[in-house]
Amino acid sequence: MKVNVTEREVMDPLADFGGEKIDLNEIPPEISKISLFDNTKPNADTILETIGSELKGIDIIHSEKPAGCGATDDQLKKAAQGNVSILALGDCGSCTTWVILDAIRLEKEGVATISICSHKFASFARNLAQAHGAEGLRILEVIHPIAGRKMDEVVEKAIKIVPNINKILNIS
Amino acid sequence: MKQKIDKSCGCQIEDILVESPEKSKDKTSVESEQKSDRLCPTSRQDIEIFVDPDVEKISLDFYQKKYTDGLPIIPPTRERLHKFYKYSAYEAQDVLNLLPPRQGKATIEKIAINGVMAGCLPLFMPVLEKAILGLSDPKFNLDGVNATTHPVAICALVNGPITHELEMNTGAGCLGPGNLANATIGRAIRLCLFNIAGAFPGIGDHATMGSPAKYSYFFGENEEESPWEPLHVERGFPKESSAVTVMGMETPHNVNDHRSNTAEDVLDTIVHTISTAGCNNSHVPGELLVIMSPEHAETVDGGGWAKKDVKNYIHENAIVPVELGDRGGRRLDKKWVKNNMVSLTRSPDDVILVVAGGPGRHTTVAHGFGTSCESVTKGLVLKDGSFAGSVKDYLKK
Repeated sequence: MKVNVTEREVMDPLADFGGEKIDLNEIPPEISKISLFDNTKPNADTILETIGSELKGIDIIHSEKPAGCGATDDQLKKAAQGNVSILALGDCGSCTTWVILDAIRLEKEGVATISICSHKFASFARNLAQAHGAEGLRILEVIHPIAGRKMDEVVEKAIKIVPNINKILNIS
Repeated sequence: MKQKIDKSCGCQIEDILVESPEKSKDKTSVESEQKSDRLCPTSRQDIEIFVDPDVEKISLDFYQKKYTDGLPIIPPTRERLHKFYKYSAYEAQDVLNLLPPRQGKATIEKIAINGVMAGCLPLFMPVLEKAILGLSDPKFNLDGVNATTHPVAICALVNGPITHELEMNTGAGCLGPGNLANATIGRAIRLCLFNIAGAFPGIGDHATMGSPAKYSYFFGENEEESPWEPLHVERGFPKESSAVTVMGMETPHNVNDHRSNTAEDVLDTIVHTISTAGCNNSHVPGELLVIMSPEHAETVDGGGWAKKDVKNYIHENAIVPVELGDRGGRRLDKKWVKNNMVSLTRSPDDVILVVAGGPGRHTTVAHGFGTSCESVTKGLVLKDGSFAGSVKDYLKK
């Protein structure tokens, strides 16, 4: 007599993804206005001001949003006035989350975006964007840490990504 | 004869008897021997015995795949899941919501799998489902709570008769350890966040140091010893109903006051313990959990203080100097500053006051995640919207 001993099947605890793919916006050929979307994280303003000062001949719109949660509709509306919006700063978990999620909200509104995250959180930012169907969202990295650093050090870190921003924006 | 057995495989007894050694004497000894050691020659086995997977092996395998909190798990077999489904108001593939950051589909099946792994009993399923539904509410901001570097944990509180039905601990040691429901439902919530939401430490959960409260942070209100209305009643649910409240909270911090014999003195000790810089409340004011022991509550109530009076007092007096408060990640909004002091709560409603625990003159307080995380209370209701009087109501659907 042949007896077969079978181990019961173990079920997979991992869930399937539910995010829907979204279309990202091309950088417009003509850029007259750029919004700098500041989430008030320490030194986010320094990074954005450094970048803004390099954008010659382009009107700058300053908009603020809270870190760690979504922008209000009014805050988002103001940021959406730019042909492109640059968001900063994702240098922790919840602020990175809401930089990326607000960037996606802007993309859905038809605004091309560039998100700035510190290199320690950039990988998470990309995974998050992918999970929300926004693979390829433009994310630039600055060297972590940013918070708790003196202004000249932050400026130095911000200047390093200016060539990448110019390249994305097709500014020579 | 072989063909006949093939047709009837499923092994009808008469076929087997025909093929038995006694009936095969006319065949060669080799043929007879080959037939005699099997009940059914066309099946791979005659008897199939199902055994549970080895706990140590599965625990290690799941741990290495980053599915667990490091503690052993109960293997989630299909058989165990079916027991959990009986206590659900939903179908196995129903999706309660998408959980961030991974945007994982929170199906009943996946919730049950993680519940089994955590060691839950099947009748814990309705509470677990409601907790997951609560976390899915946008006002809870699970996106931020899961991903943050802050050590916020999911604190869940149960109210109503179900606390007795599940034999939850609402008394001495209610925050643990030592109670099956308190330990495993809280753990199941965390495993759901790992495996459905993708909030595994260092991957989707970026808490700088994490928190022991992330293993389990789950208890019931001691309604019988509270002088005040329980939380779910305060939030509009009938007293005889049961409800689950999910909150984003730091680890609990004790308030030891054995000497005060007036409400004011007890509350001042509590307020001074709460009023610390460095918590999220000090730069993004928000909810605050105050778990008062029955003895402290009795003293406060004895001074004629209603629950709303206590909440008002804590709101008015839990403050920190602005130069210390405004050191957090998000810039402090000036609207929370008064006379150079920051209020840790936005309004008295931010003070979540409950009574729990056993004998002793202690209160426990926990700071919250801050302005962008609101607690959510979900009543235990059946599919038709009626309140479940008992977990057993789910079995009658």
